[in-house]
Amino acid sequence: MHNFTRRHFLKAFGITSAAALTGIGLTPLAAHSAGKAHVVVVGGGTGGATAARYLKQLSPDMAVTLIEPNATYVTCYGSNWVLGGFESIEAITHGYDNLRDRDGVDVIQDKVIGVDADSRTVRLESGDSLQYDKLVMSPGIDFKYDDMPGIEEADAETIPHAWKAGSQTELLRAQLQAMPNGGVYVMVAPPNPYRCPPGPYERVSMVAYYLKTHKPRSKVIVLDPKEGFAKQGLFEEGWAEHYGDMIEWRGGSNGGRVEEIDVSGKTAHADGGQERVRADVMNFVPAQRAGQIAHDAGLTNEQGWASVDQRTFKSVMDDNIYVIGDASVAGAMPKSGHAANNQGKIVAAAILRELSGQEPLDPSSASTCYGLITLDYGVSIAAVYQYQNGAQAAVEGSGGVSPLGQSSTFRRQEAEHTRAWYAGITQDIWG
Amino acid sequence: MKHSRLFAAGLVASLAMAGTASQAIADNDEITRGQLMAASCKACHNAAAAEKGVPDLSRVSAGVIQSQMRAFRDGEREATIMDRHARGYTDEEIEAMSVYFARF
Repeated sequence: MHNFTRRHFLKAFGITSAAALTGIGLTPLAAHSAGKAHVVVVGGGTGGATAARYLKQLSPDMAVTLIEPNATYVTCYGSNWVLGGFESIEAITHGYDNLRDRDGVDVIQDKVIGVDADSRTVRLESGDSLQYDKLVMSPGIDFKYDDMPGIEEADAETIPHAWKAGSQTELLRAQLQAMPNGGVYVMVAPPNPYRCPPGPYERVSMVAYYLKTHKPRSKVIVLDPKEGFAKQGLFEEGWAEHYGDMIEWRGGSNGGRVEEIDVSGKTAHADGGQERVRADVMNFVPAQRAGQIAHDAGLTNEQGWASVDQRTFKSVMDDNIYVIGDASVAGAMPKSGHAANNQGKIVAAAILRELSGQEPLDPSSASTCYGLITLDYGVSIAAVYQYQNGAQAAVEGSGGVSPLGQSSTFRRQEAEHTRAWYAGITQDIWG
Repeated sequence: MKHSRLFAAGLVASLAMAGTASQAIADNDEITRGQLMAASCKACHNAAAAEKGVPDLSRVSAGVIQSQMRAFRDGEREATIMDRHARGYTDEEIEAMSVYFARF
């Protein structure tokens, strides 16, 4: 109820600002030059760190503050390779020294606990507060544990989600290492929409990659509420070739819809109680929503995500707040690292143009989601997105998935490009 | 085609006015759609990715970027993924983005 009231207030506030813009010709903000403005960015993940860096690089005189609770960020992309046993957690961990020292971003290690849109202020856990001209929120995701009976957030210590990378990834890796040969790994996959659509299927590929070498009698079972998934044909082709019948995927109407998790018994109950699947290692990836601060700030819709003007990523709730990354509703753009990286650039350009009194652009961006089935077998889905008719849409005729039935050379090249993609995008963001 | 050349010539002229190639975009310069498109490409086509075999486009001329993007798009050059990307751009868009890579 509190949120609902606040949302209406924010909306009214937005409309008032728009009216002022039409009437007078300039809001107080547009009177600023971009160089004198203060932009606060919340969240130092892919979207937020990109936005902060590009704002500063495009407008060096602008004051840009990035607020992130952790000293380093571990990317979710690449974390499956740690589970595969051929990448270290250090290799997917990134710090903020270059944003601070080279780009001149003011990086503050703190947590935002409140947003007051009226006074354009964010409150920090340390007790400080900061005033902004424009606020970019890149809060990532949080989990909806309430949607699954039997399990709660604290149970992630025994049944990891590993869908925010870091200690959760290491916990799942340790459990796989401790699992006996002949054991069963069960992935309980999330319903749409969720972070990284092909992620669960790359994950089971990487788990199978590790098990095939070290514990070849083991089994991988995916319990999935969905009837299909991203790059399904490609994954199934790769699984059949490399893992035989080690991986078993069960879709929603085939016993995959889990209704309850028995935490102490590591057992998933599916199919109206008909199916009980016992795991040695269970990996439950819950249903998802925008990060908590987006809800606290009154920026989310009934589905739990932040609606934005997809041209600029400005929140529909407030004229000075932008939401990017997995938390936003972005049309055809997926909840992926590459999309968040693109949105960081789009929002930087949108803010600079608005502060300079220029019309918004119709942004166009290219995105690739790579995934590994083995160390030497990569697959991809590509897209070019454009703002068209009020939404981010895939350009007709562009993009698509890697072709089926390709040579091992093609797959190896895509695996090499997967690693090049990781090196490139993380350099672009934190390097 | 004439129209495209004029468009590209205009961009080159505005680039020349904007100053040196390596300079950050100054406050009063307008950020263009072509620049934003090139910034998107840069995530995969920078120096770090080049160490793993993907071309760093800041070292490729605008003319080569244009000809190769058209070749990928029109099926004249084989690719694992660039054909799928290149089909998302018109000639005008390829020209608009191509002039920005040297500035990164």
